[in-house]
Amino acid sequence: MFQYVVRRLVYGLITLLALSIITFTLLQNTGGDPLDRIKSNPRITQQAVQEMAVFYGLDQPITKQYLTWAGNFVQFWNYPTAWGRSFQGPQQVQALVINRLGGTARLMFTALGLAVLIGIPLGIYQAIKQYSFFDQATTTFSFVTFSTPIFVLGLGLQIILALKLEQWTGVKFFYTSGMNSTSYADFSLGEKIGDTLQHLALPAASIALISIAGYSRYQRASMLEVLHSDYLRTAKAKGLSQRTVIVKHALRNALIPVITLISLDIAGVLGGAVITESIFAWPGMGRLYIQAIGQNDWPIVMAVVMLIGVMVVVMNLFADLAYGWLDPRVRYD
Amino acid sequence: MTDRNLPPGDGYAALDEAEGLTVEPVTQWQLFRSRFVRHRLAMMAAVVLGIILALALFADFLPLENPTDQLEDDNGRIVNLLSPRAEYWFGTDELGQDVLSRVIYGGRTSLTVAVLTGLMVATFGTLVGSIAGYYGGWIDTLLMRFTDLILSLPLLPVAIVAAAWLREAFRGREALSLAVLLGTLLWGTLARIVRAEFLSLREKEFVEAARAAGARDRRIIFRHILPNALSPIIVNATLVIGLAIILEAALSFLGFGVRPPEPAWGAMAANGGRLAVGGSGAWWLVLFPSVALIVTVLSVNFLGDGLRDALDPTQTIERR
Repeated sequence: MFQYVVRRLVYGLITLLALSIITFTLLQNTGGDPLDRIKSNPRITQQAVQEMAVFYGLDQPITKQYLTWAGNFVQFWNYPTAWGRSFQGPQQVQALVINRLGGTARLMFTALGLAVLIGIPLGIYQAIKQYSFFDQATTTFSFVTFSTPIFVLGLGLQIILALKLEQWTGVKFFYTSGMNSTSYADFSLGEKIGDTLQHLALPAASIALISIAGYSRYQRASMLEVLHSDYLRTAKAKGLSQRTVIVKHALRNALIPVITLISLDIAGVLGGAVITESIFAWPGMGRLYIQAIGQNDWPIVMAVVMLIGVMVVVMNLFADLAYGWLDPRVRYD
Repeated sequence: MTDRNLPPGDGYAALDEAEGLTVEPVTQWQLFRSRFVRHRLAMMAAVVLGIILALALFADFLPLENPTDQLEDDNGRIVNLLSPRAEYWFGTDELGQDVLSRVIYGGRTSLTVAVLTGLMVATFGTLVGSIAGYYGGWIDTLLMRFTDLILSLPLLPVAIVAAAWLREAFRGREALSLAVLLGTLLWGTLARIVRAEFLSLREKEFVEAARAAGARDRRIIFRHILPNALSPIIVNATLVIGLAIILEAALSFLGFGVRPPEPAWGAMAANGGRLAVGGSGAWWLVLFPSVALIVTVLSVNFLGDGLRDALDPTQTIERR
């Protein structure tokens, strides 16, 4: 077991190393220069540009730049200078990214919470009432939602629930962009909560809807498999009540695969946040990522990609460990 | 429910009933209905996909406007932001381009990318999976570690950076470069599936018989084992096509895929969305590309599901 974890961690580190090299190499060839914006300013002299290149280490060979970056990056405890400086301003990348992490976390945990609270009971109920009208209606809904790109969902919610609803009723229910209103600081506590929820609702819902579709489909399949298993027949044959059979015998086993699915999904949702945050102008890591790519600000891109990469590795490991812990039939070799 | 309508062979249910043990029997009718619904959906999906494919393939022969032309009225004014009407079924966009034409030509882009991706994934995944599964040993370890590596890259962030790079490297051939990108990132799952199939199939008697008859490795792999592993490959490749359409649209939406004026559903929806949020009221710019996307992906997924049920006789539908 210990050996298994160590081996997985080593593989994880190799993955992260590969990820950093791939991303770094790709970023060097995206056709832009990090100092483009400065160079295009006619009031900045050639010599100043040269000094800046030296300041950022851009005059060094690529391999040297990578090694310097990697050497500093792993020393993440040297807050806030460890992850380098943004090319576009005075900010330290580490401070910038960690600052944005809060926004992404708020969005992600709300969406995942909603998805778990709705998706899992939905899947269980669908399985118990298999082929009922409710089952067929909701599975169709899941299938359609699952086939919908998240940006279509986000745009749809934005246009219908925010813009059109306001036009029809004259009342502003939801906001289409940002995390809070500009006058947020002057609000009373109640207004603050309301304002936060009005901003959070639509982006969180668009992520949650897709996850709900995924979780419920998976939970339904897993529950059906358990409901048809031999030990469940035994439980029924013992004369246990329907309730005990479902809750104690079926549910516990049917939840195992879904728990691993959710831990894998967290990493996926984090990557997908790039799109949602762009649509809703949400000040999170994903939006920072897109903006940084557009500006060739590669220290930011590298930091975000590595954070997501760490998350993927950790969550993959967690999923496998949780599976073994919850299901004693699983053995590690 | 102990009535004469129970099919023969289902007597156990009746017996359970008689002893006070209630097991809800799944009737033949329910089985039939579920199969029928499934397969009818898959059939419908195939027809819808056929229509979309035909439109995309023969777009040049349809009486459509050029998708990148700025249309003008009789007075030479550009007809931008016209709502849907008899002349322009899907309306026109802010540059005066015909939305119907752009949706159809956008479908050509999307489907080209997706089908090429599917082919690449099928080829590469099958090759890696079958070599790893057939030979085993260090070849297997090496190939599978590589597969794990690809599978544990964060998909969208890496795809975005890679697309930003490809955009420069393959200027003007976005569709091809996107297919190469998505194919490179998505073959891992299929390789794992094919490897698992090969691991079990290579121990079968017919493989031994072929080997005893003197067949070489290549013949055994391609003539004897691969045809038996074909159905999971087809199903996975179909589902990858659906995923590729979504990813291509997402990349184009973010501005890293196919770029205007070339038509692509993702970029069209993004543009329409920006205008709508800005208060243009031009709903048709968002609606039509979005619906085209959903209908296409949904059809591909239904088809994949139907194929899975149809191709796998061991998998009974009522258990899934």
